[in-house]
Amino acid sequence: MTESQSAGMAMSNHPVVTMKLASTSDELMQCYMLRAAIYMGEQHCPYQEEYDGNDYSASHIIVYVDGEPAASLRVRWFATFIKLERAVVLKRYRSMGLFLPLLRWAMELGRKKGYTKAYLHGQRRLWPIFERGGFHKVDVKPFHFSDHEYGAYACDIEVDEKTRPTVVTDPMVLNRPEDRLDEPGILEQSMDRGASNPHAEWTERRAN
Amino acid sequence: MSTTQSIGGETVTTKLAIRMEDSLQAFAVRAACFIGELDVPYSEEFDGHDFGATHIIACVGEEPVGALRVRWFQSFAMAERLAVVQRFRGHNIGQLLLERARKLAESHGSNMLYAQVLPVDVKYWEKQGWRRLVAEDASSGGKRIVAVVRAVDPNKPLPDVEAPESVMLRREAQLDASGLPLGTVSN
Repeated sequence: MTESQSAGMAMSNHPVVTMKLASTSDELMQCYMLRAAIYMGEQHCPYQEEYDGNDYSASHIIVYVDGEPAASLRVRWFATFIKLERAVVLKRYRSMGLFLPLLRWAMELGRKKGYTKAYLHGQRRLWPIFERGGFHKVDVKPFHFSDHEYGAYACDIEVDEKTRPTVVTDPMVLNRPEDRLDEPGILEQSMDRGASNPHAEWTERRAN
Repeated sequence: MSTTQSIGGETVTTKLAIRMEDSLQAFAVRAACFIGELDVPYSEEFDGHDFGATHIIACVGEEPVGALRVRWFQSFAMAERLAVVQRFRGHNIGQLLLERARKLAESHGSNMLYAQVLPVDVKYWEKQGWRRLVAEDASSGGKRIVAVVRAVDPNKPLPDVEAPESVMLRREAQLDASGLPLGTVSN
């Protein structure tokens, strides 16, 4: 059976769900557009509030269902915790239960990077879901912005002190794509080329 | 930027997408309307033609509220993906975008604007000075799309049949699916 046939079969019975760190401009654009569809299209959030200036200091996670962009989440990296934001699932995929797996995937990403706490601002109507996902209220006082009432939630992440990345971790492990810290990355392949120090003076380079 | 009116004290302007951020604004307006409201799949909305086209954006103050994509052909300019954010509808922002497209086409030396619209929207386009490319009878019969045209220069009306329907209604060749910005199933 060819790959496309198996994908076709999967589409009819069991949709193939894929989650990854958005790592190309196309994937990032998919995240932005899912956010526009839900926040601007459905929740009538103004553009300037949706794209609040924090997109380029954050990471995005993109979820595909049978290759089609379906859900997304933004992660911001603070010193002691990760902040999960802009979590969206496209209307047509909402019955698939993607939301909590997406949150967990983000927390797993945080765990791999050594974070012991996830934090989020949850819309009031979603509080039961966050609580089901293991989050607890940080403060009982709700607050509001962009027309919605929010509560601050946090969840502890269990991190293995022995394997979490630190400044003494193998430098080439820290260079890997962040959602695949356990597999060799492209820069490890580049090591085959040796160190020709191309920034050095031309004569110096010729000397070897 | 051209100024024509204001909504709630904010000036309504149109601009061409020339920076990355402008394009993102146009895409976001389209995503809000077509993906968010009309449930169009991402891969159909962002069909691979976005970077061979020109986007026009309408703003109320700083807020992008409308967008239109113009694709350039040798014998006509094609207006498509006309979108206005829901709460800004009813202020003729679509008309503003189409007029900006007309002026742009004029500056490109185009003499015809062309669009494919839903039957339910034909009246709207006719009100903006467009007309059906083919007579009503010919475009019925199960077709979901109606081709409409308008002269770029209103003083130089289009000849009755500028191009035969068989040519005009042909969809642009589908791009290689592997070239589309779709998700891969890696990882």
